[in-house]
Amino acid sequence: MQNNVVTSKSATLNLWQKIQVFVKRSPARMALILAAALYILTIAAKPAALNITAITSITMLTLLLSFASAGQTLVLIGGGMDFTVGATMSASAILTTAFMNGQDGNFMVTFGAVMLMSLMIGLLNGVCSVKMGLPPMIVTMAISNVVSRLQYVLTQGSPLGYASPTFIKTVTSKIWGVIPSLSLYALILFPLMFYILNRSRLGRQVYLVGNNPVAARLNGVSVNKVVILTYVISALFSGFTGMLGAAYMQSAKCQMFDNYAYESLIAVIVGGTTLTGGVGSYTGSIAGSLLMVVLNNTLTAFNLAQPARNVLLGLVLVLLLILYNRGKSVRQ
Amino acid sequence: MLEMRAIEKRFDAVVALNGAQLKSSAGEIRALLGSNGSGKSTMIKVLAGLVAPDRGKIFVDGQPVTILSGLDSKRLGIATAFQDLSLIPTMSVTDNILLGNEPLNSVGIVDTKQAQQTIRDLLDRFHIDCDPAAYVQTLPPSTQTMLEVAKAVSLHPRILLLDEVTAALHYDEIQVLFQILRELKAEGMSIIYVTHRMNEVFEICDSATIMRSGETVIDAPISELNLDDIVFYMTGQRPEVASADACCESTTEGELVLDVKDLEVYPKVWGISMKAYKGEIVGIGGLQGQGQPELIRVLLGAEKLAAGTIEFCGKPIHLKSPADAVSLGIGFVSGERGREAMFPLRTVEENIVAGKVAKGGIFQYLTPKSLRNFAKDAVEKYEIKIGALHHPASSLSGGNQQKLVIARWIAMNPVLLLLDDPTKGVDIHSRREIHKILRRCADEGMTILISSSDSEELLDISDRIYVFYEGSISDVLCDESKTADRLVAAMMGMNAANRKAGA
Amino acid sequence: MKMNLSKSFSEFRKKPAFTGFILFMVALVLNAAIQGPAKFFSANIMKTLFSTNMSFLLVVMAQSILLISGTMDISVGVQVALVNVVTIMTMKTWGIHFLLACGLGICAALLASMVCWLLVSVLRLPALLASFALTYAIKGVNVLIMNVPQGKVQKVFYSAYDSLLFGIIPAAALFLVLALLIWAYVSRTRFGTNIYAVGANPRNAFAAGINPVKVQFQAFMVKGLFVGLAGICLTLLTASGNPNQAEDYGIRSLSACIIGGLSFGGWGSLACGAFGGGFLILIQNSVYYFFNLLYSLIPGFSVTSYWHNFISDIIIFLGLLMTIITAKGQREALQINLQNSVRFRRRAENAK
Repeated sequence: MQNNVVTSKSATLNLWQKIQVFVKRSPARMALILAAALYILTIAAKPAALNITAITSITMLTLLLSFASAGQTLVLIGGGMDFTVGATMSASAILTTAFMNGQDGNFMVTFGAVMLMSLMIGLLNGVCSVKMGLPPMIVTMAISNVVSRLQYVLTQGSPLGYASPTFIKTVTSKIWGVIPSLSLYALILFPLMFYILNRSRLGRQVYLVGNNPVAARLNGVSVNKVVILTYVISALFSGFTGMLGAAYMQSAKCQMFDNYAYESLIAVIVGGTTLTGGVGSYTGSIAGSLLMVVLNNTLTAFNLAQPARNVLLGLVLVLLLILYNRGKSVRQ
Repeated sequence: MLEMRAIEKRFDAVVALNGAQLKSSAGEIRALLGSNGSGKSTMIKVLAGLVAPDRGKIFVDGQPVTILSGLDSKRLGIATAFQDLSLIPTMSVTDNILLGNEPLNSVGIVDTKQAQQTIRDLLDRFHIDCDPAAYVQTLPPSTQTMLEVAKAVSLHPRILLLDEVTAALHYDEIQVLFQILRELKAEGMSIIYVTHRMNEVFEICDSATIMRSGETVIDAPISELNLDDIVFYMTGQRPEVASADACCESTTEGELVLDVKDLEVYPKVWGISMKAYKGEIVGIGGLQGQGQPELIRVLLGAEKLAAGTIEFCGKPIHLKSPADAVSLGIGFVSGERGREAMFPLRTVEENIVAGKVAKGGIFQYLTPKSLRNFAKDAVEKYEIKIGALHHPASSLSGGNQQKLVIARWIAMNPVLLLLDDPTKGVDIHSRREIHKILRRCADEGMTILISSSDSEELLDISDRIYVFYEGSISDVLCDESKTADRLVAAMMGMNAANRKAGA
Repeated sequence: MKMNLSKSFSEFRKKPAFTGFILFMVALVLNAAIQGPAKFFSANIMKTLFSTNMSFLLVVMAQSILLISGTMDISVGVQVALVNVVTIMTMKTWGIHFLLACGLGICAALLASMVCWLLVSVLRLPALLASFALTYAIKGVNVLIMNVPQGKVQKVFYSAYDSLLFGIIPAAALFLVLALLIWAYVSRTRFGTNIYAVGANPRNAFAAGINPVKVQFQAFMVKGLFVGLAGICLTLLTASGNPNQAEDYGIRSLSACIIGGLSFGGWGSLACGAFGGGFLILIQNSVYYFFNLLYSLIPGFSVTSYWHNFISDIIIFLGLLMTIITAKGQREALQINLQNSVRFRRRAENAK
């Protein structure tokens, strides 16, 4: 009898350990499970939350956030941090509506302008982070501020124009009435990101640089070049996401997407990428984006007032951080 | 006063201490001697509370004690001055020395008057000429070392441990230090003094404990030992000083791969000239910290060259970064696995292909299959024991990690492979295999430059050996001159002049 | 005399506050030049400058303490708002005296700091993200305490805050004096040196018998006190309560610290923070007057007020860029000794 108790105890312990290992090892799957559980919980409590509009909007916002998180993922794995994601998106949205001005024919010009601007922001981020010797967080934040202010200066605070109708359609029309056509962009962007991170030489080098920059340098990796490239790619992704965002919103406002700086950061972290670099995956970031969007959806479904939502969001973030991002103790 | 009995300590597969003994009495300066890896630093760390021994007993004043932390060590009246400094560079001299022991007045405020007085007395006593308010990072290395010693002495310990503190000191500072040590000895302090410089041993020490491979070989008063005895006990060899400057440069025929002339590196290395030929294994010997790592890093482009020229395959090269060196066909294996070679969070496969990944077009497609095969081949060819290719590299044992790092580069087939103490902390079996691999590569035409702190390894594997002493080459050994005794003499910097001073 | 001056200058170059000081002086001279020195240094202008910016300056100093101890808190901004709403609402609902309410406000700041310490030092979460999560939570709490801007402060207090003592000393500056007095005491205790050791190298500090978690707790408490004072300054300045203000203090205070020459962990001083904060304040001020000057000098010149923020953010970015140059100068000043000594040693050894 006694023996039995012991074995069953050790079995549960093993299960518990297994769960712990799973939580630590597969943050991406964990985020997916959490998102699914949260959504099911929401539906169970508020059946009205299960409707096509809600699903479409969740998909839409998840995709946008995951596009925005792509570059952030790359930068964080490389050991940096990019706070310009939001400002770049807003600036790009403003450029998009202004250049397109409702005309389909202006797409290529717009695209070129947005990419050029993003390239400049990315280079500035990268070069300054590498050369200034200041924490990347501070540097990119200062640049982000300048970009945000520039939006107001150039537009007098009220951006003009609209995204072109066809472009809007490619983003917002629904396939079979449910799936937003924005997913078609995912068919290009997800594989592209997958290629950069997992199949190209650059991606491999980013992981090495993030894990151990000293060893990477002695191993012959041009660490500075790699870091600068991560910022440039991040800015290009943010820029393009900003274009899509403009189509989604149809017109632009100053600082419209600025909160994406933090949201992308959180989505990426929740997806298992660490702040210290060298670990992470884009799948995780996509799952993290989904979790963040579903969490917001749940808070909305329960009709919580803004202050209570903020408090809850803060608590959830702390919990997620405790799960994945605890530092090491001084005593060993 | 202090006695350590039968101390044992293992780090993974490596035995650092194997029944080592150490005794010291009040009013005595005892030299703790031994070559690289003999375990003397580990002994010091045990006493300082940084390393917990696996077995053995420590007695202070005849009472058995356990030392689990730096605080325990401090409480027992033990103070340590470390070679790699425990000072905090961004703090002032005063704050550093008093850290944790600030004199307080009745309202809990640090008594600056008393603090200043303490510091002034201490600096005067050590003849340290610096502003007590200066940040430690603004001071030259020698002053920092003096401060480290002063800090240890300021704790009024009963047992003072000095771990190779003279390595960075100037001649006059050493004299000041010795004067103080004599005073402390007269006051009844027990001092344990670790050094590589033999003349200092005869100048200041009363007795010596000599260690070899983790064991205590002899414990005797200095008056009963001469220099040859000490070297014999340290190495098991009688030293034989080179009679004339033997020249080994022209003995090897063949294509000159590396030609270094009058190389200087700030602040460690000056006036190094050396050559390496195709298919040759060139050894770099010497005690720790004589400038070997700096030389290797300059050849890799990781450190700035202050003066001199490097010619690689007949062409002068100016390396700006290791990436330049790698693209020319130079590879680098570091013995500091954790800091300089491994990517512990990444998989075994990624660690093996890291060299391949570093070289080539940055957006190029790397097929998973080719990488996997590359890794698989390396694992098989070099017999690296792994769980699976997708396990994190931190799951491998030290020896296998090192084989992995070597395999990473050898599989790239570089023209010149630089190795900086590659078998540090590697078990004997893996070490032999690594040697076999290196020899095979040299036979196939690779030029190998290997620095090692292990004399046997160097004698075993190298065709020629350059011996470093205090940043210069003290001897070059090859063929018949490649003997253990001559290597030992060169490592101790024993040339005719030094020998007279020592004996 | 001249020798002395140049010597003390080269000594000052080695101090961490040097970079911030230079930038601060540049901003000061610029501001004085634009506004006209006589006018700029007049008691009334000084009064306004101090009273409007005192709370930000205190927040920057609070942030400096955390940076020195090797951590940070970007929720300081919402914590200032927390002090504000707690002070106003306790006074309004319970009818207690203003000073007592201020005390409760400070307690709220201390409590928030303690929570942040728990997350960052005890649970060892990354400080940036943990305090960002805390920003959300405190922002929510603020609105739960006070849903819309309301309340007021008795005139005695807010007019006293915005007055001149003896006709020349801005009353708001007293808060700065108070904070400096607190710091003068705290930094002279063991905490004053331990905080640097913990920030620079927790391991060595631990080996020297210092408990890093305890030292960081003390740092968070002093920071909480400063944030409490900052909240009171803001309350006195606005003379009412508003849950949605001062949020940007969190990030701006970080920038100010970095511009002032602090780095993450063990390098810098409170003076760095003060100079960095002063730089930001003066730049904003001088940009405003600069545009006023342009309007009056160039007839027909008119731009929107957006330009003010844009230009000042550009200058802040340039200020960050400037720290490379000033830091390089500092490094050189630090290394002169080193190189000389190595040269000397080599010469001596060659002679031997």
